[in-house]
Amino acid sequence: MTQVVEIESRGGRAGTTLLEVDHVVMNYTTKEGDVSAVEDVTFDLKNGESLGLVGESGCGKTSMALSLLRLLPDNGEIRQGRILLDGEDLVELSEEAMRQRRWRDVSMVFQGAMNSWNPVYTVGDQIREALRLHWPTTLTYTEETERIAALFEMVGLNSAMIERYPHEFSGGMRQRAVIAMALSCNPKLIIADEPTTALDVIVQDQILKELKEVQAELGMSIIYISHDIAVIAEVTDRIGVMYAGKLVELGDTLEVFHRPRHPYAYLLLGSTPSITGPRRKLSPLEGEPPNLLDPPKGCRFHPRCPFASDRCKSEEPPMTDIGGGHEVACFHWEEVPEIRELSK
Amino acid sequence: MWKFIAKRVGQMIVLFYIFLALLFVLLDLQPGDISQQFVGNPDIPPEAKQLMIDQLGLDEPKHIQLFNHLKNYSTFNMGASWSQYPRDVSDILFSALPRTIYLFLTATILAYILGFWTGKIVAWKRNTATEKAVMGTSIFLWTVFYPWFAILMLWFFAAYLDWFPVGKFVTLNFESRPDLVNSISDVLFRTSGSEAASGWTSSAAPGANDVFMLLFTSLIVGTIAFFGIRWIVKRQVKDPTTQARLFTGGTVLVFGGFVLYWITNEYGPWAFDIFWHSVIPVMTLTLVSYAGTTLLTRTSMIETLKEDYILTARAKGVPDVTIRDRHSARNAMLPVTTSLVLALATVIGGGIITEQIFSWPGIGQTYLAALSSEDIPLTMGALALIGILALIAHLVADILYAYLDPRIRVQG
Ligand SMILES: Nc1ncnc2c1ncn2[C@@H]1O[C@H](COP(=O)(O)OP(=O)(O)OP(=O)(O)O)[C@@H](O)[C@H]1O
Ligand SMILES: [Mg+2]
Repeated sequence: MTQVVEIESRGGRAGTTLLEVDHVVMNYTTKEGDVSAVEDVTFDLKNGESLGLVGESGCGKTSMALSLLRLLPDNGEIRQGRILLDGEDLVELSEEAMRQRRWRDVSMVFQGAMNSWNPVYTVGDQIREALRLHWPTTLTYTEETERIAALFEMVGLNSAMIERYPHEFSGGMRQRAVIAMALSCNPKLIIADEPTTALDVIVQDQILKELKEVQAELGMSIIYISHDIAVIAEVTDRIGVMYAGKLVELGDTLEVFHRPRHPYAYLLLGSTPSITGPRRKLSPLEGEPPNLLDPPKGCRFHPRCPFASDRCKSEEPPMTDIGGGHEVACFHWEEVPEIRELSK
Repeated sequence: MWKFIAKRVGQMIVLFYIFLALLFVLLDLQPGDISQQFVGNPDIPPEAKQLMIDQLGLDEPKHIQLFNHLKNYSTFNMGASWSQYPRDVSDILFSALPRTIYLFLTATILAYILGFWTGKIVAWKRNTATEKAVMGTSIFLWTVFYPWFAILMLWFFAAYLDWFPVGKFVTLNFESRPDLVNSISDVLFRTSGSEAASGWTSSAAPGANDVFMLLFTSLIVGTIAFFGIRWIVKRQVKDPTTQARLFTGGTVLVFGGFVLYWITNEYGPWAFDIFWHSVIPVMTLTLVSYAGTTLLTRTSMIETLKEDYILTARAKGVPDVTIRDRHSARNAMLPVTTSLVLALATVIGGGIITEQIFSWPGIGQTYLAALSSEDIPLTMGALALIGILALIAHLVADILYAYLDPRIRVQG
């Protein structure tokens, strides 16, 4: 195999900071008013690290991801904050400079990736398009094909499928091919938005495992987005919990998974049936996330929170480090019971 | 793909025979049916009448008549025309056919290419003054009363501006318009006004039909060469820059070859005269279907722009123009192609009107003339031919669609 088809990571030395999201505020302008979809979110990501973002539907996970790539629809706008990738602020970049960063530095596996394929081109040609745009050198057609074949193998697809059209792939295969395309230009970061939601549990598991293996091999960073904390807990190093556009808890996966300190995370975990973890009593999360056109004052979770006090209704709790890099935005985090108690 | 085409052709043949049979039955149901119309002439003695009925097989039972009719049509035997007796119906129709095809093919191809391009641009740049202007014009053209518009065009370009001739197929006598035709042929062609200037009635003039057939054939060959080169290049050459270069080269080659051929051809001025006469009808037809294509492409583009794969393309860092052309427009083409077929009914109807207004001697005009002179065989033949044309157009659109959409292609 020639030099070019070798798949390797361009990520920096493991453990150094790759991405810093710094107080980002993102709004959608609508006829009814501004939708506060991402509100003052701050987190960072190291090279080779994988971070999970979880939360109910509509809490701004996809909006956060699209902000990172500046792929927002016309009515979406990053109002404040910085997004530093290797120290360079993406918010400040020109559209053309941003276009060149896309896929080369940050690629994305979309929610509903099954529909991410253009029906009139072969899957191979669509990956080829990415290579032609972003590969640092000009490859010959054969070299491109070799590289695509290598990528296909890596995600467990038969390289004979390169010349096939998307509709000839099964759902799972399409998903794998999307991952192959995301890997094609050796990105530093992959954002996987609900990468397996539409698939059955077995395929879901296989694909996540493969992604994890690929990551171990190549060492790029991954942001996983899901509404199912149990699914991504198995593949991430850290987890961030989002609620109504805000990041409310962030910490090591095991910490957050076993000792959530934010009432929302606690209830979310309680309402997730777990097969592998300790038995949990199902305590349903009642109510619905607020309308982001007019989010509640103070802590956005207070109307649904069993621990809410008067202070929560007027004052926004800041993200506070409670030790070991575990951050929580709640005045009452100490009152949240150990999750083990639930099973009593 | 071949299986797909074979299947469609098979369906088409069956459909055509059903159509023929229906035509036969419908005409047979008319009060003035064939036997009365022709054989019922009181001047003809009864013996002759009987002889004629025997010869024409009119005493046979209806289903045998139908069978004979279908059999005759299968061998292109469409009988003799009554109004232009004894010319064969097939002879009349086949000499009118290329003129109709010329008019419609040119107008359709032009309208499709231009309309698609405009629709694409307009959908991409929403809410601009350009969009509003284009939409306004298109809606006007799309809803306008066609005969009125055709006459308006004729008045404006032929009478008011006096740029093009008023209708007809050729200038019978160039001397009647020396100011125009002479100067044009003098400037554009090497003729020094001698032979060409004396027009079609002079002894040196070639047959108008021969010249037209040559023009028609060269246009068809040119078009096939143009698209053929693109098709082969696309299949054989994978490298995008070489591909683009070969596309440009091919276009220049075909276009240059065409122009060169006609400049050096001795029929050049006559062919130019025919072309000159076709400008207004082609332009009128083009404008009307152009408007439809523009409107439809715009809607279709706006839909495809919402698709997930457009977001994927943006995430891939694909430049805007490429997203517009390669991703969005390429998919927007599919419904527009389907509409080509649906628009066919309008085009056929409009075609008859067009030929009548511009006195363009094609199938439509032949059909109307046959109808008013109660020439039943010719009417029948013209209708059958229009039917075949419609079916062929359907087939072409189907094949085009299958070629454009891989999801159809494999089903076969
Ligand atoms: N284009 C838009 N215009 C206006 N509001 C929008 C737009 N896109 C999303 N929103 C709103 O922004 C909020 C966050 O949406 P987002 O898609 O980011 O949520 P999510 O966490 O990804 O949800 P899901 O799990 O359903 O994908 C929602 O309230 C949604 O209604
Ligand atoms: Mg989402």
